[in-house]
Formats: sequence, structure tokens, C-alpha cells
Amino acid sequence: MSRTASRLLLAAAAGLAGLGIVSSSASFGGPGASAAGPTAQPSVRRLTESQYRAAIAEVFGPEIEVVGRFEPDMRVGGLAAVGASAVSITPAGFEQYDAIARHVAEQVFAPAARPRLVGCAPGGEDPAGAHCAAAFVGRVGLKLFRRPVALREVQAAVARTLAAAQRLGNFDAGLQATLVGMLTSPDFLFRIDLPAPRGPAGAIDGYSKASRLSFLLWNAPPDDALLDAAGKGLLDRPEDLRGQVDRMIASPKFVDGVRAFFDDFLQLRDMETLSKDGLIYPGFSTTVAAASREQVLRTITDLLVDHKGDYRDLFTTRRFAMTRALGPIYNVPVSGSGWSMYEFPEGDPRIGLLTQAGLLALHSHPGRTSPTLRGKSLRETVLCEQVPSPPANVNFAVVQDVNNATLKTTRQRLEAHLDDEECASCHKATDGLGLSLEQFDGAGQYRSTEHDEPIDTSGKFDKAAFAGVPALARLMHDSPKVSQCVVSTAWRYASGRDTGLADRPQLDRLNASFAAGGYRFIDLMRTIALDPQFYAMLRVPLTRPATTARADSKSQDRS
Amino acid sequence: MLKKSAAALTGAGLVCLAAVGLHAADAPTGGWPGTRTFVVSGLFVGGGGDPNGCPAQSPGNFDVYLASLPADQRAELSPPGKRRELQKQMWQHFGFRRMALWPGDFGGRAEVAKLPPDVKLHQKPSPAQLRAIAELNGFPKGKGSLAYQDQTLAYSSCTNPYDFPELAKGYVPYQGKISTGMNLDGKAGASNFSSPDGEKGVDNQLWRAIGCYKQSQEMNDPAFQEKVMLSARSPTLVEVSGIDDPRNDPDVTVRVLTGADPLVRDGAGKPLARASYSLDSDPSLVNVAHGRIVDGVLTTDPFDLRFVFREQIIDNVRVVRGAVVRARFKPDGNLDGGIYGYTTLSSYYDMVEHMTQDGADNVGLSCVAVRQALDRYADGYRDRATGKYTAISSEWRFHAVPAFVTGIPPQAPLGAGTARAMR
Repeated sequence: MSRTASRLLLAAAAGLAGLGIVSSSASFGGPGASAAGPTAQPSVRRLTESQYRAAIAEVFGPEIEVVGRFEPDMRVGGLAAVGASAVSITPAGFEQYDAIARHVAEQVFAPAARPRLVGCAPGGEDPAGAHCAAAFVGRVGLKLFRRPVALREVQAAVARTLAAAQRLGNFDAGLQATLVGMLTSPDFLFRIDLPAPRGPAGAIDGYSKASRLSFLLWNAPPDDALLDAAGKGLLDRPEDLRGQVDRMIASPKFVDGVRAFFDDFLQLRDMETLSKDGLIYPGFSTTVAAASREQVLRTITDLLVDHKGDYRDLFTTRRFAMTRALGPIYNVPVSGSGWSMYEFPEGDPRIGLLTQAGLLALHSHPGRTSPTLRGKSLRETVLCEQVPSPPANVNFAVVQDVNNATLKTTRQRLEAHLDDEECASCHKATDGLGLSLEQFDGAGQYRSTEHDEPIDTSGKFDKAAFAGVPALARLMHDSPKVSQCVVSTAWRYASGRDTGLADRPQLDRLNASFAAGGYRFIDLMRTIALDPQFYAMLRVPLTRPATTARADSKSQDRS
Repeated sequence: MLKKSAAALTGAGLVCLAAVGLHAADAPTGGWPGTRTFVVSGLFVGGGGDPNGCPAQSPGNFDVYLASLPADQRAELSPPGKRRELQKQMWQHFGFRRMALWPGDFGGRAEVAKLPPDVKLHQKPSPAQLRAIAELNGFPKGKGSLAYQDQTLAYSSCTNPYDFPELAKGYVPYQGKISTGMNLDGKAGASNFSSPDGEKGVDNQLWRAIGCYKQSQEMNDPAFQEKVMLSARSPTLVEVSGIDDPRNDPDVTVRVLTGADPLVRDGAGKPLARASYSLDSDPSLVNVAHGRIVDGVLTTDPFDLRFVFREQIIDNVRVVRGAVVRARFKPDGNLDGGIYGYTTLSSYYDMVEHMTQDGADNVGLSCVAVRQALDRYADGYRDRATGKYTAISSEWRFHAVPAFVTGIPPQAPLGAGTARAMR
């Protein structure tokens, strides 16, 4: 592409100077709605990578490739969904978005795709292509921005398109530049709530509701039917809203939404970079890592969506998604090349998510297990507890000496490490759970001994003694903490913010509803999607800064 | 012997994923109860044990041809850098021909053959079409065979070994008194070896025939066998079922099977344990034998065995008659041992033909000498009509790691019995 064209493309991405500080003003122009009350803060969330991809597929079709690196997500309170409310776009990140946008636009205007995706051209009564550009911007803008493009926005875009077309001597080049501008606009890259033109202060408009709903249930932008309902104001009417929610839950895309939630909740994306020592775990590979992540998600959606199951059963299920790449890790035969469900028999050590290779490997070191990392993960993720980070001057020599002739098992080495009282205080919270998983090595493979010593898997969970993983799984299944944790996490995921004391009544209601409905995850999602609070702007003191959330510390106990 | 519910397990849903309750007895190991399956990572001709068994190395084609040249020409063509020129001259001298049936890279550049109108590209020609192609392209009358996975038409010492007897010059058989192997016929005669452990009457005439080739000796090295995987495209599987006691069980069933999936390797390039394999759909490749385990060593009764050797350009079904599998269950979970029996000459000749002249030249073999030696040392399954032996005693050594077979349960009814025709 010529330098002139590059400058025009960048120029077409109007209003981007302000991207470093995200505000509620829509830089593509914004519809100019009235401001909300002084205490209502609209939510602004950057699209995650998967949401970006889903948006491109929704607007232009799945055959359009999205190639490039995205700005990394930031976790706040363990969730990237909450972190999305706290992040902006760096200059380097914008360059990436720009490159991705150009590649997408090139594909849209490629000869094979253009007739379907652009649909018009200059000629006849539209010699310069102004009507064509207006139609394109209006149609594509509605889908990309998830709201109608205001007339003045369309006019400005048409003017830029025609100017660029004249400069470049090519209408398509001008319109392509406009598309790049739209794809790099904050209106696309951020989910920006807009206040309702009418109604109580703090209410959001129908299109913002549609976005919240679709990203919660589908992890994707609204489809035509949902945008249509939003435009007609139907989402303000409980019976119509319920109809839309039921339609969306019945859609195959609901699985994508559930997957996105658990991918974030269990922090499975970290598995993309998971690697193991090839000499110690020769059976573990990047293929196995990717399959392990997929296994967790497929196991979850099989139980919670396909079988409309009880969330707590995830901890006791013996029905695992399985594919051939994982067979050697689980030591089971797997036929066929695709995915299918494998049922472990009663008495088998594999029971529930805690014993899936992906989570076990993720919370281990490259060449050995880590009861501490495993326990910390369970405490923080599944039980929503906080575990403090270790001090910087801890001596891990005993724990790391895996070939210690006297201390043959990890439990023995950890117990020696805990002679230090300062260490013991934190390890008590984590290691009890983690040690019960010691029958699974750092790659998630079963073992009954370590250096020929039988592995002790007993422990305590909330003062209840247990012997072995199946007993722990049952305790976790029955623990109110476990079900309450997924409720609060789902609410934080949906609202894109951390919860406080003011959320307590809301969470109490959700917990009661979740329990009364038999802990069906689908019902939890439906309840949230129908809850008026889900569509309310956050009410904050006027003095509160726009972005105050603090990113999670990356430091973790290394023992 | 574990009878369990194998018969009840042969219905629909046998496919391993309906595994509820099937492997609890062996938990946490998956698979069928009382069954251990292994994938063979390499099959090598075994034998030898006498360091003085080969007074000299058997020469390959290049060696024989060079020896036939005047001294000055021999000196000129001997350096390794002259290999291509040497081969070209040798092929011209013997009139070897090699033509690609259609454009493509079939192990090196080759002239593309002219085809009669009724021959379609990329479709294996019929015998009549083959003769027509050979005639059209100037092959010697009646000569020319398909080679290189049926992609080329060739005339060489590997396709027609009896046409080039001079390439057998200098051949050296293994002349040691000791060799690994097994006493297959219960007799101890002059042609037999003693095993390194002192067992008399060891039958391993295949090693006598080819044991002095450099390639045979290299591949017989345990260190080589540890590193190199053979027949990785369609590995052989050994399944032992009905095991009550893995150390001693007088009654087990052994199946030797052929996988339809390539050998799965781990991150270090070694065979990956516990991988799953589906089976070749050819029922004649399901071989069953009765066996026993004594002190951790599995031994079968003799049975007729067909297995596939598919490696690089070779795609060959090998047939071993009166085969005995003898192998040790190792503490690390692997299985090491051998298949001992009479390899049919026809299946071995087929492998030699698949090797192609290029292959034989490059690994230092003489197809002619090998063919003559097999004819000479064959010692099993005499054809009553011709009075000639049709098979040669042999040892196929293997290493195997734990694996799973999917799709067919152990001891399932077979599609073919042991009475099937043998090549």
C-alpha cells in the first residue's frame, strides 16, 4: 500500500487520538444522546480477542480471516471480563488493530467477496458512489458499532470516503479506508453503554442492552433479530426480553457464551503458553495442552448446556470429553479422530474437573507438581478466596529437591519446608487441597507412588477430613462456597466490574435462585440476563476516577 | 484364564468409549480387563552372535561393479563424490531402466513414460497395459515391473534378479556357529546354529543369507534399534488378553494386528506409550494364537502370521509361517522380543522388489545375491509339487511400548481364520 494510502487510512480512523484514555464519548461521532445523571457511570469494555473474532464473523462471515496479535487481556479479580473495563489501547496495540483491520478490509473488498459484502458500486444515478458509501456505512456500521450510525456520522464518513476515493483515484480504495477507520474506531473496539434517552437516570438504551445480553450469552455481538428488537424498544418489555433470552439460550451460540465464561473463570487461556520439560513428561506437547483446554470446556458444556446439569456435578462427574491426543495422558483408549465423551468407572481416580489433566498441568511446574499452586488456584478460583503472595526471600531448596533421598514424596518435602512457621501460615490454606491431587503428576498423568513411596492423598477441607480425591470432590460438590463462588463470578463477569457490599443483596437473590433451581447453570445465566440490575449503569461518587481497577498481581508462590 | 464378558462385549458400542466398568479391575489403566496391548516401534531381522561369522562383508552392487572395472576406471569412480556418475555408468552397463508413469518426484528424476491411450494418469495399469507401456517405451521384451509404490516402471536387478547373475559375485553368507533365533523344528542339524545361551538347533537361515551385509549388521545393533523406528506408517500391534497373572499364566490369547494409524511419537521422537490405534480394515491381518506367560516371558504356540511392513517406499505384507512370538514383559511396561518362524520367500521377494534398484544401490545390497541366497538357504514348508522350500527360518526382533487398540475387543470373532491362503 502506498504511503499516501496509509496516511488516508489512518486519517479515516477519525477520533482515535483519545484512545489512550477511554471515555464514554463515541469517537466515530456518537449519536449525541443526552448525558446521564452525575452518579451513573456507563460501562466501557474493550472487546476481547474472541469477541473481536466473533464480531468479524458476525458482520462479514466466518471465512474472513482475522490475523494478528491482540493487546493482551488484563485480569482484575481473576477475570479478564472485569479487566476489560479497565484497559485502554496502547499505541503499539493500536498498530496491531490497524494491521488486523486492513487485512480484514482487503478481504471484504477482494473480488470474490465484494459483491456479497459491499453490494453496490458507483454508477448510473450514483456516479461518485455517495449513496453506495452511505448504504455501506449505515449497514455495516449498525453491526460493527452495535447501534445505528447517526446521520451526521454517515455524512462525515461519506465525505471522507469520496475525498479518499478522489485522492486515490479509486472508489473502492476510499471505501476500504473508511472500513479500516470503522474497524479501528472505539465504537467498534469498545463496548460502550449509552444512556437511555428516556426513563430513569442510570438506565441504558436498548442497543446497549442488546450488547450486554449478547456478549453475556454468546460472547458475540447482537444478531439482526436482537438489534431489531432493540430498535423497537422490545428489550424494555419483560415478556419480550424473556423471549429474546430464551431464543438466545436455545441457540447453538449459547455454548460459545458458556465456554467464554469458563475460559475466563478458570483462566484457561494461560494454557496457550503452557509447556513442560520434554525429558520428564515426553507425552506432553503443545497439542496435548490445547486439547486439555478444549477438554475442560467440552466437559463443562456437555454437562451444563447439553444436559442442563447441576453446576456442582462438575466436581464429581466421571464423564470427560476425550480426544485421541489425550488418550496417552489418561491411559485410556480413544477411537476416532474427533471428540467424544468418555465415562470413567466408579473407583477410578479421575473424578471431576479437579482431576482433568489441563488444570492439573496448568497449576504445576514444568518438571514437577506443585500442591501449593494447585491449592492456591482452587482457593482463589473455585472458592473465591484470597491467598496472599509469598514473601520474596523464601528458601525453596528443600521443596525443589525432587531427588531427595530421604524426603521422597512432595508431601514430605513440603512438610519439611513448613517447619518455617512463617511459611506454614499460608501453606496451610493451599497445600491441604493441593496435596490431595499428588496422585497426578505435573502433566496430569496418574501415579500411585513417588520414588516408590505410596502417595498420601488425605487432607482437610473446611475442617472436614477426607481421604482421596473422590472424597474431596464430594465435599466440594456439597460446599456452599463453591456454588456461591460461581454465582458471584458470573455476576462480575456479566457486569464487568468487581462487586462490593452494595452488591450483597443482589448476590443473595442470585444465590437463592440458583439453589432453588437445582444449581442449573443455564438458569443462573437466564436469571442474570433478565435481572434489571444487569442493565443498570454503575452508580459511583462523582469524585471517583474513570479507571481505578487494579490489575492482579502476577506474583505467585513458587513452591 | 480370564473369560470375563468378552462375548457379551462384542455387540454394538464395543468401540472403546463405552468403557464404563470395563477397566475397573485394571484401574487406573484403561483398556480391556486382563488385556495388555503394545505397539511395535521397529521390526528388525535378528541373528548373529559370532564375531567371526562374516570373514568379509557381502558386497553391494557398486562394489561388485567397481571390482569388474579396469584399475584406472575403478580409481576414478571410487570416491564417494563420484557416486552419481558411477550409478549412471553401472545402469547403462546393465541396461537398467526406470521411467515414471506420470510426472512427479519418485525418488529422483526419472524420464516420464509414453502411455497408451487407454492408460489413465495415476491409475495403476493392468498387466496387459503394463506390457504395452513397456513395449512402447523400449523395455526388453517381456520385461518391466511396477516399482516405487506403483509409480514407476522398472527393469533392474531387483525386478529381474535372475537376469544379472554377475551382480552376485563376492557374496558372503554368515558362517558363524552361533546365532540368536529359535529351534523351530525341534531338531538340531548341521545347518542349525547354537544360541548365545547354548540352545542347540536354532533355525535362522535368513540370517545366514543376509547376515554379512553391512545394513543387516547395522540394523541388528540394539543401539540402532533403540533409535530407529521401522514400519512406522502402519505399526504392528501385539495384544495379549486373558491375563490373570502377568508373571505366570498358562492360558492367554495373543493377537498380532496391523495399525491403520502411523506410530505416535513423543516430544523426544520416541514411540509414545499409551497411544490409541485403529486397525487396518483387512481381516487377513488379524492373527490369533494361544500363548502362555512363564516368569514374565510370553510364548505363543506356532501360528501363521501376516503383518505389514510399510516404511518409506516399501509397502509389503510379510508372511511368517509357524510363527512363535516370544517376548518379555519389562519392568518399564514395555515388551521386547521376537517373532520366530518361516518367512515365506514370496513375501520376502516382494519386499526386495519394492526396495528398487536405487534403494539397493544406496544401502549396499545386491538384490541378485539376496535372491540367490534365499533360494539356497530356504528350509521350511517344502512345496510337494516342486520339491522346493517356500519359506526360510527367521527371527524378527521387536521393541514395543504399551498402546491401545480401538474398534475390536480382544478375542472377538475373526474375519479370517488361520486357514487362509498364504503367499
